[in-house]
Amino acid sequence: MLDQLYFVLDILPDLLFGFPGQRPGGLLLTLALAIVANVAGFGVAVLLGLGFYSRHRIVQRAVSLYVFIITGVPLLVLLLLVYQIAGNPRYGFRIGPQGAAVISLVLYSGAYQGAILRTGLASVPVALAESSSVLGSSHWHTFCSVQLRYAIHVMLPAFTGQTISLFKDTSAVIILGVADLMSTARVVLGSDLANQPKWVAVYLTVGAIYSVVALLLSRLARHWERSQRNHSLVHLLARY
Amino acid sequence: MLKVSLPLWWTADAVALLAHGLLLTVLFTLVTTVTSLVVGLIIGSWRLSTNTVLRHIAGIFVEVHRNVPALVLVIFWAFAVPNLFPPDVRKTLFFANPVITRLTAATGLPLIYYVVATIVALTLNTSAYIAEIFRAGVGTIAQEHVDAARTLGASRSGVYWSLLLPQGVRASFPALSARLVHNMKNTSLAALVAVPELFRSTETAMSLSFQAMPFLLLTTGLYLATAVGLSWMLSLVERRLNHRSASTWTTAAATNNA
Repeated sequence: MLDQLYFVLDILPDLLFGFPGQRPGGLLLTLALAIVANVAGFGVAVLLGLGFYSRHRIVQRAVSLYVFIITGVPLLVLLLLVYQIAGNPRYGFRIGPQGAAVISLVLYSGAYQGAILRTGLASVPVALAESSSVLGSSHWHTFCSVQLRYAIHVMLPAFTGQTISLFKDTSAVIILGVADLMSTARVVLGSDLANQPKWVAVYLTVGAIYSVVALLLSRLARHWERSQRNHSLVHLLARY
Repeated sequence: MLKVSLPLWWTADAVALLAHGLLLTVLFTLVTTVTSLVVGLIIGSWRLSTNTVLRHIAGIFVEVHRNVPALVLVIFWAFAVPNLFPPDVRKTLFFANPVITRLTAATGLPLIYYVVATIVALTLNTSAYIAEIFRAGVGTIAQEHVDAARTLGASRSGVYWSLLLPQGVRASFPALSARLVHNMKNTSLAALVAVPELFRSTETAMSLSFQAMPFLLLTTGLYLATAVGLSWMLSLVERRLNHRSASTWTTAAATNNA
């Protein structure tokens, strides 16, 4: 029992920060992937949100097709597909596994956040957008500071839920051999047959790390949602 | 006569491989859908129970299995748990005993323990989500409704079986089906524990033929088709549920008016 504990303590730095002397990995990389994918994915989602309500039928169709495909396919397939295209000199790209992982996670979270944003945009009262344009705002200004803000505010719980979900989904990058938390554990354990009795302890630790971060994230999100609810002008509007 | 020339990667072996994989993915989906619905509704009901112990057990179950990635659960149950035992015990317990041999003969799958472990892991993960969704669905039922039933003399279990359960499921059905489609996609995680489902067979076909793109695109299409099929089936169930409830409503109303 005690030797298991020592083993876990021994490899804990590797799990958290990656192997010394190599690129950062472990939990640090998992968090970096999740943050980049969420932030850039939100950019994709805004583009998709614009596309959903575009005047051109073909843009609407294309955007819906994109969301349908990305949300209908396992992340593992998407990762491999992106890596095959982006890492293949035949198509003129030379992007490594880490880059391919980032691209696929951005596409993936963009599609999910886009679907959330579409629901949010649909719930914006027409009168709100109309009054903004009557008061002389440009189309763009109305979208950014009225419709988008309102939609984000209404869908805040869904967005934070998706953020936490994406944090857990990043574990799939193991398929490309990216050294995140999950694959670090696998490499440590697989390096020696004598480690076999320690598998359960190590995976319990990995699970605990994931759930502690997920719990912290959801606490933070709840706190943020509450503060938004009390201070936001948009919420005052939403209540009318 | 029209002669269709097939591309080189489209061989009988590859087709058989992918067909087996697809079959296994569909079976995985059906089995885990049913098991996680059953477990999820039980755990969700425990979370609403007046019994403090049950409520806490259910709460811990949900928190543990929802905050850990499905991949960690799959690898934990498939690879880590057998490693708790010394090699000879492990072999007889998980890989070479009469039950396993019979199951292998019946299904034709190698390493049946990994299949079972994946089903267990996916069930735990999805049922934790379903429990929460169901609880939220029950939360939308008006308290007056429950009070009315109790006042009219319905027992606690009567309220549960004919009010909370059906209405809770109905209210949470859209979220439930979204989660079940997600569960279908999660079956691809079985590929990482050597179960030859669709994703794993695609990888095998890719490495055998040195062709990646055609197989990946084909698999994308197959997963999309499975997702569409599953959501169609779930929408049929939903329509059935809503229809049944609507007709009971009208019958009840008619009886009341008569």
